[in-house]
Amino acid sequence: MKNKKTALIIWICVTALLLAGALALGSGGAPHETVREVMRDAVLHEDNKLSLFGLIEVNPAVVSAMTVTLILLIASALIRLLAVPRFRLVPGRLQLLLEQLVGLFDGMAKSNSPHRNGFLGAYIFAAGVYIFTGTAFELFGLQALTTKGHSLALPAPLSDINGAIALGVLSYLVILSGGVAGNGLRGLGSSLKDFSLPISMSFRLFGALLSGLLVTEMVYYYLGLSFVLPVAVGVMFTLLHALIQTYVLIMLTALFYGEVSEKHHAE
Amino acid sequence: MKIPLNISWQQILLHLFNFSILAGGLYFLLYKPVKNFMDGRAAHYAELDAAAEAKLARAETLEAEHRRLLEGAESEIMHMKAEAALENERAAAAQLETARKQSEKLLLDARTAAQKERQILLAEAQEEISALAIEAAKKVIVSSSDIYDRFLDAAESEGEQQYE
Repeated sequence: MKNKKTALIIWICVTALLLAGALALGSGGAPHETVREVMRDAVLHEDNKLSLFGLIEVNPAVVSAMTVTLILLIASALIRLLAVPRFRLVPGRLQLLLEQLVGLFDGMAKSNSPHRNGFLGAYIFAAGVYIFTGTAFELFGLQALTTKGHSLALPAPLSDINGAIALGVLSYLVILSGGVAGNGLRGLGSSLKDFSLPISMSFRLFGALLSGLLVTEMVYYYLGLSFVLPVAVGVMFTLLHALIQTYVLIMLTALFYGEVSEKHHAE
Repeated sequence: MKIPLNISWQQILLHLFNFSILAGGLYFLLYKPVKNFMDGRAAHYAELDAAAEAKLARAETLEAEHRRLLEGAESEIMHMKAEAALENERAAAAQLETARKQSEKLLLDARTAAQKERQILLAEAQEEISALAIEAAKKVIVSSSDIYDRFLDAAESEGEQQYE
């Protein structure tokens, strides 16, 4: 009992000392970027660029996207090699999780596009996993060095407008391909009718994820806001966005895909 | 021409390239194996279900067949019972007839025997009666001779008395 009290007192003292030290030392000098510049750069990525294998300068989100891809592929390969061969008829916890994940996207594809859903299921699975993992990725705050020598926390891949446009346009192309595969030229026409879809999809993703990024940037810009608050901010603006935007994009893709690929019978 | 919002075709293509690698990798490493396993398991359970359905259908057919056989057996039993009852009746009638014949024969034999016995008895009775009659006659004769003798004696004595 006495030992526990001593440990508690030591822990409180160490924590208080760390807080006092952090507040006393500040950020190591005056910030070289104003909050306005930070916000602007978070949106436009004009200043802070990263070098991609020393070949070209890219926005940090490209490096984030590639890191997320690498992590996901390594995890998938490990699961494929170690877990999948041990699958049993009565699933364990990991198997159940994987089956739920695959079953969720497969079921969504089947329910929204009952007549043609093989490719759609695979696509929304990949897109869903990418959006969720990519958005949650910013919580880890992996650091990278910009070409100007500044330290930078890698953002969510889709908080970059280029990443959002890529996924929005690709989703639209998938919908278009479903229309063509299902109904030929008629499907192409009905898909082109929704020409605003790629823009709305892209900017919805971008706006939603950017808002989370901006709030997080703002919170971390001020030292005083960097305690306790990031927990709530991280959950609200990262995990919720990750879930909501994943659901919104795959649901829209599946819905439109099912609509344009549905066979139209001549009356 | 600079595109607003720092949109870069190169980076869009990089994102697409990255996503295509990710999508392909996820499909071959995760989605397809897990889905194949789930489909295989669903097929396995469907197969078990179909086998159970087939067994159930076969059991129902067998049950119906057994029920039909039981019903047939019941009717057959009733038919056999009826036949057995008829046979019993026939056997009973035959036995009765035999018994009747036997009784008639016995009766006839008894009558014949009785007749014979009667005749014998009659003959014996007749013989006895005859013997008795003869005996009686003899006795009568004897007695009558005695009486006659006594009469004669009496008459003789009376005569003697009278003469005296």
